[in-house]
Amino acid sequence: MAFVSEVLRKTITDIDGTYVGILEDLIARDIPEMIHPRVEAIQINCKGKMKIVPVLSAMSLFAPAIPLKFHIDDLPEFELDDVRDIYLARDVLDMQIIDTDGGRVVRVNDLQIIRVQGAIYVTNVDVGLNGIIRRTPAKKLANSLLELFKIKLKENFIAWDNVELLMHDQFMRLKVPKESLADLHPADIAEILSDLSKLETTQFLDALDVEQVADALEQVETDFQVSLIESMDDERAADVLEEMDPDEAADLLQELPEERSQLLVSLMQKSEADDVKLLLEFDDDTAGGIMTTEFATVPENVTAAQAINILRENASDLETLHYVYVTDELNHLLGVFSLKELLFASPKEKISDLMEPKVRQIRPDLDQDEVAKIITKYDLLAVPVVNQNDVIIGIVTADDALDKIIPTAWKKRLPKFYH
Amino acid sequence: MEKKKFFFKRSWRSIILLFSVFGPATITALADNDAGGVATYSIAGAKLGYPILFMLPILTLLLAITQEMGMRLTIITRRGLADLIREKEGVRAALFMFTALFIANVGTLVTEISAIKTTSQMFGIPEIPAVIFMVLLSFFVITRGSYKVTQNIMLFSSLIFFVYIFSAFKSNPDWGNALSNLIYPHGVNFTQTYMRDYLIIGLGVLGTTITPWGQFFISSFAYDKKIEKGKVNLSQLETYWGAFLTDFFSFFMIVATATTLFANGIELTSGEQAALAIEPFAGKLASILFAVGILNAGFMGLVVVSLTTAYAFAEFFGVSGSLDDSFEKSKTFYYLYGFQLVLALLIVVLSNFSLFQIAVVTQSINAVALPLVFYYLIKLTNDQKLMGEHKNNSFKKWFTSISAVVIVIASILTVLAYFVFE
Repeated sequence: MAFVSEVLRKTITDIDGTYVGILEDLIARDIPEMIHPRVEAIQINCKGKMKIVPVLSAMSLFAPAIPLKFHIDDLPEFELDDVRDIYLARDVLDMQIIDTDGGRVVRVNDLQIIRVQGAIYVTNVDVGLNGIIRRTPAKKLANSLLELFKIKLKENFIAWDNVELLMHDQFMRLKVPKESLADLHPADIAEILSDLSKLETTQFLDALDVEQVADALEQVETDFQVSLIESMDDERAADVLEEMDPDEAADLLQELPEERSQLLVSLMQKSEADDVKLLLEFDDDTAGGIMTTEFATVPENVTAAQAINILRENASDLETLHYVYVTDELNHLLGVFSLKELLFASPKEKISDLMEPKVRQIRPDLDQDEVAKIITKYDLLAVPVVNQNDVIIGIVTADDALDKIIPTAWKKRLPKFYH
Repeated sequence: MEKKKFFFKRSWRSIILLFSVFGPATITALADNDAGGVATYSIAGAKLGYPILFMLPILTLLLAITQEMGMRLTIITRRGLADLIREKEGVRAALFMFTALFIANVGTLVTEISAIKTTSQMFGIPEIPAVIFMVLLSFFVITRGSYKVTQNIMLFSSLIFFVYIFSAFKSNPDWGNALSNLIYPHGVNFTQTYMRDYLIIGLGVLGTTITPWGQFFISSFAYDKKIEKGKVNLSQLETYWGAFLTDFFSFFMIVATATTLFANGIELTSGEQAALAIEPFAGKLASILFAVGILNAGFMGLVVVSLTTAYAFAEFFGVSGSLDDSFEKSKTFYYLYGFQLVLALLIVVLSNFSLFQIAVVTQSINAVALPLVFYYLIKLTNDQKLMGEHKNNSFKKWFTSISAVVIVIASILTVLAYFVFE
């Protein structure tokens, strides 16, 4: 186990022991089938002139002074691959990276390298205090102080496969998004976004797929959502809004400047745009303002087995599915049953027999406090919203209803209480 | 669903957002009006009279140029000053610069906490509980505060500056004498003791006008505000205006104190005496106004400076840098944030120095750390690869370089003045 910082600045001599220069940088190459990049070449600073030679021309990088296998006038050339080659000191050391495992932006203090069968691989990125201490002139002093006070610093490594390089300026490149980015949890994406500058944010968002961006947006506060949407172009912003829950999308659109908001709605697909437009009509603090237009319905005259099939086909995208509502062709609300009731019903049972015809329902202009009261009083997970013609237009879920009522501080203290 | 709040980043952004309303012009002026500034300018006016005004034009120019450099650097590279020092100069430079910034900031925090102590003395409130309470309150404002709270603190603390302007006019100063001292120092007996005081206090005035934390602050400001490259010329003008505004306030503060205190030979040692400078305008309310004003300025400094240390640290070392994270996740960050406050608090509580004894010393520490900041600032803004066509012109380069050298010499002379010519 060794570190890049320990190798850099070492003296390099040729086969006769003549001074060549000092080790300026290590060049590693991303190899598709390998997780870890392999060190392919070394950059030598020969009194201000840079020379790049294959790493194999050095006898050992780990000797106190590095001897080359060639004569100084006879050094082999190394051919750089602009796409896959990474200068470890110039492009990675001291730079910021995304830790896709921990979901955060960190600074690289050192790089760990290991030798396997003659080749050198970059294994870990050191982001801990040890990495800083190792590179300070007062290393020995710091270590003996730590020993004196019996402080043991924890190693803080990130495995290379969890590392995503950030493009900082022209010579850094954001590599083709790795699978690791696709695996990020929306909450982690939200966290990373809050750490990035605007330029980096744009690049990072571009590397994610639309659905991920939408999920991540739902995790952050509205004012942060607005700034993120503002950094996207219109097409992409509209795509993201389509993927978001209509109620979240509507909240966000309300915060945008009128012009942009209308433009984005017009760019959205019709069905999603209609949902959002409907929601935009209602005040923030009413049932209509906090409801979602995504809910599951089945007709009255089907059997339980048919109902399950209908749900399989139509309801897979829903955020919540606690209740299924029974409607006629004109979407009049006729009844309700829970998913549990459906699960335990005999397959042949008629939905009209299974459903509860007396449905607790609310109007879209009902104050949100009242909504919360109804939901807690009757111990519901969601309550349907119907218009004056008894047509169901949305549902308010329990967490959305309580979200607006319970003070944030409470929610912090009672995180498991309601969601 | 529980949404992520990012309280800490929010309070930082809320400070920056506040400034963005006023534009960068006011940023320097407002952020500079901390308790250290009020105390140091008061001491300068009281002890040296009008001749200290001679420093102001040069300081204004230096402040304008260095703030402009930091601003331009961040607009062009889209990175903070600390980010750049770490990435371009490496980890040793980062450690070195951070240590200097940390020491200077603890010094400034000591001043701010001393100001709170002064207020509690003037109101006859027990000192130690009062300062501990205010430090805890600053932590609370940072983690739970809102844009409105921050805004009110800042706006309120700038009020005291207007009080000084009115007082300066009402105290009937010798305007001819004051204004001509801007060009050349005259009108007093330049004895050896006077020259020694001029050197020591002058360095303090420099350190309170141009601060290391101010350099990191303006860089953060430009970074978070995401000023576009095209607007670099506009922001240049605004920084110049901001520098002018800072010293415009300083000018009246010095004139007010020089006319009321220096002219009457009053040695400045207590808050009550400092309040005499605003009596021409504030009358019997002077003491109360000064006490509240300095408390407010101290509190604002406490919030802004402690945040600057924490943010620079996060930029330098990329330790997952936020008080939004859990204690477990960013222990180092919490320790550092708490450590600077506890350290400053202990110095204030144990040392028993008053604000007016300590202000010049702590502000001088700022000045001593400045050449180091200038060095990196000049080096980075001269980097052709980094800055392209926005590289420094030769006037800026040479003026700041020579200033850095002058500051180094002045710092050495001051240390000598303290210990050798005592």
